[in-house]
Amino acid sequence: MWVIVEEVRKSIRILLAYPAEVVFWIFSPLLWVIPLVFQGKALVGAFSSTPFGSLAGTDEFIPYVLIGAIISTYMFSAVWSMGNSFRDETYYGTLEHILSSPARPAYILIGKGLYNSILSTSFVIVQLLICVFIFGLDITLVKILPIFMFLLLLIVGLYGIGFMAAALTLLVKEAHGLLHMFEYVLFLFSPIRYPVEVNPITKAISVFIPLTYALNALRGLLLNIEFNFLKNSMILLGIDCVLIPLGLVVFHYVEKRTKTRGTLSDY
Amino acid sequence: MVGSGEIIVNDIRKIFKKGKPDEVRAVDGIGFTINKGELFGLLGPNGAGKTTLIKCISTLLIPDSGSVTVGGYDIYREPLEVRRHIGVLTGGERSLYWKLTPVENLRYFAALYGVSRKVTKERITYLLELMGLVDKSNVRVEKLSSGMKQKLSLARVLIHDPPVLLVDEPTLGLDPYFARFIRDFVKNELNKKLKKTILLTTHYMDEADELCERIAFMNRGKIEALDTPDRLKQSMPQKQVLEIKCQGTIEKDMFETIDGAAGINISHGEGFVFLRWNTDNPELILGNIIELVREKAKIYSVRVTTPTLEDVFVHLTGASLKDA
Amino acid sequence: MSLRDNRKRMLKTFFHYLRAVNAENIKEWKIELTYKPDFIRQFIEPFVYLFPYFLYGFALLGGRYSEHLRSITGISDMVAYTFIGYLFIGFLNTACWAMGFSLRKEQWFGTLETIFVAPVPRWVYVAGMALHSTCHQGLIMLIQAVVIATFFAIVLQMSGIFMALSIVLLMLLGLYGLGIIVAGLTIALKQWWVVSEALSTLIVVVTPIAYPLAVLPLVLRKMSMFLPTTYGIIGVRHFLLGEELVIGLPTIILRLFLILIVWLTFGMIVFLVMDRYGRKKGSLSIY
Repeated sequence: MWVIVEEVRKSIRILLAYPAEVVFWIFSPLLWVIPLVFQGKALVGAFSSTPFGSLAGTDEFIPYVLIGAIISTYMFSAVWSMGNSFRDETYYGTLEHILSSPARPAYILIGKGLYNSILSTSFVIVQLLICVFIFGLDITLVKILPIFMFLLLLIVGLYGIGFMAAALTLLVKEAHGLLHMFEYVLFLFSPIRYPVEVNPITKAISVFIPLTYALNALRGLLLNIEFNFLKNSMILLGIDCVLIPLGLVVFHYVEKRTKTRGTLSDY
Repeated sequence: MVGSGEIIVNDIRKIFKKGKPDEVRAVDGIGFTINKGELFGLLGPNGAGKTTLIKCISTLLIPDSGSVTVGGYDIYREPLEVRRHIGVLTGGERSLYWKLTPVENLRYFAALYGVSRKVTKERITYLLELMGLVDKSNVRVEKLSSGMKQKLSLARVLIHDPPVLLVDEPTLGLDPYFARFIRDFVKNELNKKLKKTILLTTHYMDEADELCERIAFMNRGKIEALDTPDRLKQSMPQKQVLEIKCQGTIEKDMFETIDGAAGINISHGEGFVFLRWNTDNPELILGNIIELVREKAKIYSVRVTTPTLEDVFVHLTGASLKDA
Repeated sequence: MSLRDNRKRMLKTFFHYLRAVNAENIKEWKIELTYKPDFIRQFIEPFVYLFPYFLYGFALLGGRYSEHLRSITGISDMVAYTFIGYLFIGFLNTACWAMGFSLRKEQWFGTLETIFVAPVPRWVYVAGMALHSTCHQGLIMLIQAVVIATFFAIVLQMSGIFMALSIVLLMLLGLYGLGIIVAGLTIALKQWWVVSEALSTLIVVVTPIAYPLAVLPLVLRKMSMFLPTTYGIIGVRHFLLGEELVIGLPTIILRLFLILIVWLTFGMIVFLVMDRYGRKKGSLSIY
């Protein structure tokens, strides 16, 4: 257990040495929404659109996109940080050292994931507060608990994905690019920027992405759009139950393979 | 031009983190002249400032004060001419592109050095043959052994046929076979045959002793002594060294009670402890010393030799070359 | 030395640098091609990147055409409008990432000091990277253009292609200035990527990529006037799609020239200052 705590501590210390990075992560989702706001204004001439409403359940596309941005950044930073964690360590030259220490690498990863969750959650809170005060987003106290529940359900699944991302970085040298690709694919096929119902292909593929259910639920809660609470939470829970063991198995397998083939410090 | 040497270093200083509590005086007022065709060695432990000095001479770093000329070119005013004049071997095997083949690497560096296409072709053939790398010429560098990579790094340094070579720890991390090859190559091929002026840094005493015509001892950014290896050794006040090879736990202060045996140098190697005393009369202290050592360790051999460069270094600085 | 000798020497030096720039370009291609999956990915990615912008438009409009867009730009086809914008902004990658990243990448390889002792000025490496990335990005864009234009049946005004490319060239030269600035900053800053990310995000927001200048708030519109990408995208869209110009063509060209001169000069100054700083502090070798 102390391994996890130590890992969290170490990562926070490293991050605090880079304040610019913190500022960047807080503002980045808000920044990438701006072009979409202007694009919307140019196309529709207003900040609400009836065709959009018929697909998304709300005419107001700005809050819709904002929530997508915040929650997806939450997800990507988890995948990035866990996926990149071992990459960073290679550059710091400490990877071999860590992996040869008696602590199980999975614990180190959980530590990194936990650190990331703490960090990202504090970012999300700041971002939501900005939204409440600047964009007039309506968050009542009653909603807070379910919001955190869905965030938690999302995070747990992300750990599974994070494990696989970390495994990938051990396996493929240019994992950076693949993680980018993964990000773009999610942008395309999950309702981050637009309701996936706009196209039959995106709609069909989105069913397999956990982010879809989390976004549906969180948007439902935050924007008062009707959604099936039980169905979304159950599906997320089910996905979590699959992703965590799967992630661990994949990571364990790849780690073993890397150790036997000795390709660790080769980058 | 100042003086007639090929490399003239005049009172240069390089201080990192100036004025801060962790200030490092990497190079602290150093001056020397290396003559044309000379093989000059900078000997010192890790962290002595050797690499910083090489970086200053090769224009990678700007010194805080002092002057350096290479082949008559000033490092401040004519850095490009200086770089054209020198070949720098630093950073070991990482100084090559591992994803490219030896030929592709050499071709790339030839273009950077402005070697004409025709000459490039001839030089690559010549250098790969010289290094015995012809059969590896189209294999990616990542597939070569460390020794082969170092050979290729040497070929890279020679691609533009520079008159001056700066060679930083050339045998670091190499196995004995390749280390021997590199040493012979530097001495016989580069220095004797091709008449290159060479500044070599090392923390291996044997390497400096074997290769260099003159040696500068460097420690904590300063030059402690500069002369030929023989004269440096002769400069020792004591002309003999008593050496005991043993296994056990030996403390320096054990010998304080014996008259004339206080200046001991303890080093470790191959599972043994080596105890060395600089002395004019080994017979005088031998009996007492052996008695003391036998209480704590098993003695394997006792011999009396002449001082090595290591002994001179310890005598001058109080630090061992292996310390750092 | 006679004037003639001097000229001969300068010419020789010029060709030496030119060859070094090209050697850098060729080296990059060769290294890139050794990472085959990554190379292929780079050609697929732009498509995956572009589609969300189209789908967002579709969701907002319930179709492809926008009456409002036509009323402010003269073009009603949302797909064509967005596509041209995002296609040419691809060159921003050249400046902010490829050029900015060039020196740090050498550092990761471990080759930085080895190339820095070669007798060419250090901007040559950045220029080599600019050449490489321009070819690379150009190739990606060409494929992207052909595929997307065919898929969505976008009709471009082929008569405007020469003028469009000339405008792009001017924009590109301006962006090189930015690339040199970023490359310089990477020498001194450990968190250089935040600078790159912040700059590119800012430029993407302010440049009229998927919307006309008219929808930008006044402050952002003023800011966009200092960017080569603004004039580049406006000009290209005018020549390829017939977007109505809000700024006169001579003004566009004049400002592009001005910007490229200022940015390139400023870039060179920043780079030289940072390079000197790096060599004084030894900051490049400390990572």
